Amino acid sequence: MRGYETAMLGRVALLLILSSVLFIGPQVAYLEQEQNVIKSVKVKEVPFKDVSSSIWKNAPVSQVNVMPQNMTPPLLQTPSIKEITVRSVHNGEWIAFLLEWEDETRDAAVDVDKFTDQVAIQIPLTPKNLPAFMMGNKGGRVHIIHWKAIWQDDIEKGYRDVQVLHPNYWVDLYFFSDKPPIYAEGEFPLQPTTVDYFITPEALNFIPGAYARNPISMLHRTQPVEEAIAEGFGTFTTQPKQNAIGWGKWENGLWKVIIARPLITDDPNDASIWEESYIAFAVWNGSDKNVGARKHYAPWVKLVVEK
Amino acid sequence: MSATSWLKSKVKNWQIGREMGYPYEESRPEKQIAYVFDINKCIACQTCTVACKTTWTSGKGQEIMFWNNVETKPYGGYPIRWDLNVLKKLDGQSWDKNRTYNGNTVFEAAPQGERVSGWLPEEEDYSYPNIGEDECSGIVERGDYFSGIHKVWMFYLARICNHCTYPACLAACPRKAIYKRKEDGIVLIDQSRCRGYRECVRGCPYKKTFFNLVTRISEKCIGCYPLIEKGEQPRCVQTCIGKIRMQGFLSKPDSPRKNNPLDFLVYFKKVALPLYPQFGLEPNVYYVPPIHVPKEFLYQMFGPGVDDAIETYKGAKDDKELLGAFLLFGNSDKIIHSFKVEGDYALGFNDTGELVAKVPFTEPVYVRPYFDKKEGTYRHNIS
Repeated sequence: MRGYETAMLGRVALLLILSSVLFIGPQVAYLEQEQNVIKSVKVKEVPFKDVSSSIWKNAPVSQVNVMPQNMTPPLLQTPSIKEITVRSVHNGEWIAFLLEWEDETRDAAVDVDKFTDQVAIQIPLTPKNLPAFMMGNKGGRVHIIHWKAIWQDDIEKGYRDVQVLHPNYWVDLYFFSDKPPIYAEGEFPLQPTTVDYFITPEALNFIPGAYARNPISMLHRTQPVEEAIAEGFGTFTTQPKQNAIGWGKWENGLWKVIIARPLITDDPNDASIWEESYIAFAVWNGSDKNVGARKHYAPWVKLVVEK
Repeated sequence: MSATSWLKSKVKNWQIGREMGYPYEESRPEKQIAYVFDINKCIACQTCTVACKTTWTSGKGQEIMFWNNVETKPYGGYPIRWDLNVLKKLDGQSWDKNRTYNGNTVFEAAPQGERVSGWLPEEEDYSYPNIGEDECSGIVERGDYFSGIHKVWMFYLARICNHCTYPACLAACPRKAIYKRKEDGIVLIDQSRCRGYRECVRGCPYKKTFFNLVTRISEKCIGCYPLIEKGEQPRCVQTCIGKIRMQGFLSKPDSPRKNNPLDFLVYFKKVALPLYPQFGLEPNVYYVPPIHVPKEFLYQMFGPGVDDAIETYKGAKDDKELLGAFLLFGNSDKIIHSFKVEGDYALGFNDTGELVAKVPFTEPVYVRPYFDKKEGTYRHNIS
């Protein structure tokens, strides 16, 4: 794959130059903003969960155009999202981004043919020596924070289990599940839930992803975001230390998602943001079967942190 | 980007008699896990299916997952239409006289921007694992059973992961979360690396990678590697009551060994054929084709070797060595690395040369008295 990746990196570099000219939308008249720059304004309090907070009104609005992933197969064949609206505030300690995009359906379930809505931001570890805008490159690491609607539902409504998608599935026996099905008098018995009844190591053998501690198979999630580091296609790696937070809300065909993280950390896998850096975006439409590389993206945009 | 620009390597696929494009270089394992299924003997009892299910996929999220299934052809399929959907995508699957495949493989036929020409099943496609079971190709007309060979037909197709030499699941994964073990050729999904993109589910033409909706990542047949590592055959093979299966290791195509029963059946006798070789994956489950099914159907399913395979199979009664190899099916839990025929016995040996199977060509018959004086009782079955 090496030669292929080198060739792709050449294209990445060319697109990077083009993209800085083309893909940042014109100014919109919410609040003054510089073109090609996302400005994070200083506020007293960062709204971590409140997507409708009036604090966001202090931040200038940037409209970032996104395009279908066209760098490495599998490509996104049919785009369904055109742009993301971005606002950013910080309090000197935490920086938060409010990302908004239009999506007619709220997709927060997964099954073989079902995919969840997602959004991610990416910040370079070395902004002065800017890595490739899509997943970085060998030696040019990027810090990614990824939010998924299904993770949000895991936290808000409980782990999205088999019975959420398929209420009428019936299985006589799940081996080693800690308790048998609950038989309430006169009612249809309840099937054991994964979270409650698959707690012994023997039972976890039958939940292989969780047994292998795959971060995707995490049964007890506390944040709907995941922090990762990458240095090229296919290298997305969950960070051992998770210190980002997030929250999202879908209303009337619009997703509003907050992703927040400390400005400066001592985690070597985090990209600290001093005064200036860059930020890139990716967004997935679940109902259009967007997943993994089948995504919309926006290349590096300058990020300026107001003093 | 052109459709095939990412198929950087030219690899040799002996099953289609030519080189083909693949994203990675040819890297055959030291030993290749392989199976021969004699589906003439399969009765679709599903013991293999249940053995696999209870061993590996009885957890939450695996409800509709069958790493092993047995479907009735022509109408059955799990997931539904798994093969028809792929065949539809490959135009002109013709072979020339030298048994070279002229059409495109699933890699070569990939549309622009895709890694493999694949399709993603819907949840419902997995919901009827025994659809079409025991249905034959048409109506049995009155009196047909007196007239020799039936016009209508059906057969059972037992299916597991083919542990392909050129896996499409592995090629399709953008994260390289799927790997083929060097020591035995078993193809595995790294359960800590997979992120559930389902590119493998979309890409595998045999539809033998599955999505687990509880763990949100993909899973597949693991070739019962804990047994393989102990020198034992997998669960689906051990439990087959019809003794239709044998698992062993196939040598590299350029160095077959005649006393290896897998090599003998596949390379020397050519009595067992790959399933849909035109897909281009070099699958490693080899089928003795059913002898009573219209040839056109079999050519499509097993390639151009069908006529010879059936002829050889029909002649097994006069070919002691071939019969001996078949007799070893299902008669040992251990993996048979070499075999020989000695007198009226077929003998199977493990990798250290130890005898692990001894099967008589003719079952001995013991006739016991109708009345057992010692027990003071009558026998209903005296042989």
